[in-house]
Amino acid sequence: MTKTEQLQRDLDYIAGAVRRRDQAVGIPALYLFWAAAVLVGFASADFAPRITGLYWFVVGIGGGLFSWWMGERDDRRRGIRDQALGRRYGLHWLLAGVAYFLTGLPMFVHGPSPDAASAFLLTTGIVYGLAGVHLDRPLLWCGLLAFAGYIALVALSLAYAWTITGVLIAACLVLAAVFAARVRTAATPQ
Amino acid sequence: MKALDGLDPAFEHRARLAIAVLLARHGEISFARFKQELALTDGNLGAQLRRLEDDGYLALRRDFVDRKPVTWYALSKPGRKALDTHLSALRAVIAASGA
Repeated sequence: MTKTEQLQRDLDYIAGAVRRRDQAVGIPALYLFWAAAVLVGFASADFAPRITGLYWFVVGIGGGLFSWWMGERDDRRRGIRDQALGRRYGLHWLLAGVAYFLTGLPMFVHGPSPDAASAFLLTTGIVYGLAGVHLDRPLLWCGLLAFAGYIALVALSLAYAWTITGVLIAACLVLAAVFAARVRTAATPQ
Repeated sequence: MKALDGLDPAFEHRARLAIAVLLARHGEISFARFKQELALTDGNLGAQLRRLEDDGYLALRRDFVDRKPVTWYALSKPGRKALDTHLSALRAVIAASGA
């Protein structure tokens, strides 16, 4: 084997190791947690709209802290502590929290309205869609479903559009959990 | 060739170069995770890590995860600088070879 061939093999080995680390799929338990949270939270907008704001205030902040703790725990168990990636996750979801707060601001100032409520779905589409592009790919589909729900809510005025969208996003998150669990199982050495 | 002078002997072994590249990208990685990513035996991986540690390129931290001891490795400042220099030299070698 020539020196160049040896060098090529070494670089292939290193590139292979780096590429294996690039497959971010998320934490299955977290997807399931948010599937349940979204299902209840979105359905509450149709069936018990008075508790929806309080529900998302508690579950949004509590769930965010729970997600952060789970992420830390997962990193420690998997043996990789990527602080730059952690900061990226933190910043994304912090901005998502700010976006949700600003989306709800007109409702706090002028009172509830269907138009302001549907804007939450648009924000969800952007937040989840961008999370899918920049962080965990399965979330992209949840974002696209939220956009579809927004169109249904605004253009078609469907009955129970919130609940239907919640069910679809929850189903998407469950599928993401199954996909993530499979990828993780495949990556675990026998 | 002048570019060859920039190559660092500590990174001449592909496993050591892979360790440094992974650490440069991901911050801190445990011994067990390296073993899984690089498909090396305990002895081989330990020897490669020790070599980088002896050169002052690695920083170690010991911790417990689920009551089990875990050793975390990170690239030290000299290690990051040496890796940058080595990778620049590698690029120069490849460019000079006309690949």
